[in-house]
Amino acid sequence: MVREAEVTSERTPIKLAPVARHEARPRGEDAVFEIRGLSVRYGDVVAISGVSMDIGSRQVTAIIGPSGCGKSTFIRCLNRMNDLVPGAAVDGRALYHGEDLYGSEVDPVEVRRRIGMVFQKPNPFPKSIYDNVAFGPRVLGMSKQLDERVERALDRAALWDEVKDRLKKSALSLSGGQQQRLCIARALAVEPDVILMDEPASALDPIATTRIEDLMYELKNDYAIVIVTHNMQQAARVADRTAFFSVESVDGQRSGVLVEYDETAKIFTQPSDKRTEDYVTGRFG
Amino acid sequence: MRITLQEDLDRLQADVQQEGALVLRSLRATVNALRTRDLELADEVIAFDDEVDDLYFSIAEGIHTLLARQTPVAIDLRLVLATLHINLHLERMADYCVTIAKLTKLVGGVEPDDDLMQGFDEMGTRAEEMIRVALESFAARDLDGATSLVDLDEFIDRANRRVVGHVLELGGDEEQREWGLRMIIVSRCLERIGDHAVDIGEQTAYLVTGEFREFTDASRDDMPDRRV
Repeated sequence: MVREAEVTSERTPIKLAPVARHEARPRGEDAVFEIRGLSVRYGDVVAISGVSMDIGSRQVTAIIGPSGCGKSTFIRCLNRMNDLVPGAAVDGRALYHGEDLYGSEVDPVEVRRRIGMVFQKPNPFPKSIYDNVAFGPRVLGMSKQLDERVERALDRAALWDEVKDRLKKSALSLSGGQQQRLCIARALAVEPDVILMDEPASALDPIATTRIEDLMYELKNDYAIVIVTHNMQQAARVADRTAFFSVESVDGQRSGVLVEYDETAKIFTQPSDKRTEDYVTGRFG
Repeated sequence: MRITLQEDLDRLQADVQQEGALVLRSLRATVNALRTRDLELADEVIAFDDEVDDLYFSIAEGIHTLLARQTPVAIDLRLVLATLHINLHLERMADYCVTIAKLTKLVGGVEPDDDLMQGFDEMGTRAEEMIRVALESFAARDLDGATSLVDLDEFIDRANRRVVGHVLELGGDEEQREWGLRMIIVSRCLERIGDHAVDIGEQTAYLVTGEFREFTDASRDDMPDRRV
């Protein structure tokens, strides 16, 4: 494991305070994110409104809800991906280790290094397996001991044994499930402490899905994982805590809201809110 | 709306009510056989248990399939789990009816004690009432009705204690004493049927509130003990 000090020493200076190593902290007890009254608008359309929740470290947090409830919008706020959407405006506060992600001093590139993202469809670059993983560290000036870094990332993504003999082959020669794990390796290579996953297994077959879910279980020992999923059973299987978003009328306008956020077991056995129960039992949405 | 799931849940609940109706028939018949020394009727009760068992296995299989195919959650999951337990409680009640029928056959030649028979008739009636209350509370998700089973159970428990006291006073010859011991088991069976009805009430409470709890507990001072 590369230590934080080594990593930061070879990168451009960051504008976020260094992250304390989390090994000494009990799982989930400290909040990686503290979200307060978060609202996002795309032009005149309000995507989410008034979302407040804490997201713990070293656990999997699932975001579920019907289409259009703002799940993806929400996790894209967590690493400032919405900055890239023209007309997007974010209100409220999104604190990352106590620091405002949208503060004027914060460098969005550094935010995205710390808070990696894996998308629904595997999107490797049309380059070799090795280059896909090495790309991030090279761009960020973390290229010292690059081979070790690439191996470590592939190993953590449970892909090393399958690709170690063909690192120079095109990433596009991999299966869908392997490509998705490559994308996870790519995110891990730049030493993040949060991994956001937006429907990471929805384009995969059941076996590849199981591998991704097993991987999440492994990775949560060291990372906070936030996953958006349409598959409620997947949320029930992998998440420690689950947030249910829905679409409600807020000030006369349809908008995504956070309805209930609790231990996953509670959400799937005895949800507190009727709307959550109607959704998880398949009676709505 | 998941139509298949809802249909499966409705069928499951209807089957449990049907199983309850079978148990009520078995209970009425076994108490009548005991009271009137009708050995033919006792044999019918014993044979009738196959019908209860068939329905019991059919419900258990239905739950098995439903869990595998529909993966119910929240209220649906609680309903399926409660049904799983209630199915077992009803099947046990039917087994107690069979035990009473077998004891009836064993003591067929002994002249019954009128007071005792009247006591069993009363216990049987109360047990029937408890089964009805348990099944109706479950169907209506009626927490108060389910909780009321604890008080109803107290009447059966008292009757059970009276039977034991009465048998101890019997004395008499060996045949009479043997008869008395068998009657204590009959009394115990009826008392246990009442306990199972309370257990069904606890499942209804779990279904409604989501909390696992016993209405009564012998090991806790702050709760009544009904296992007597």
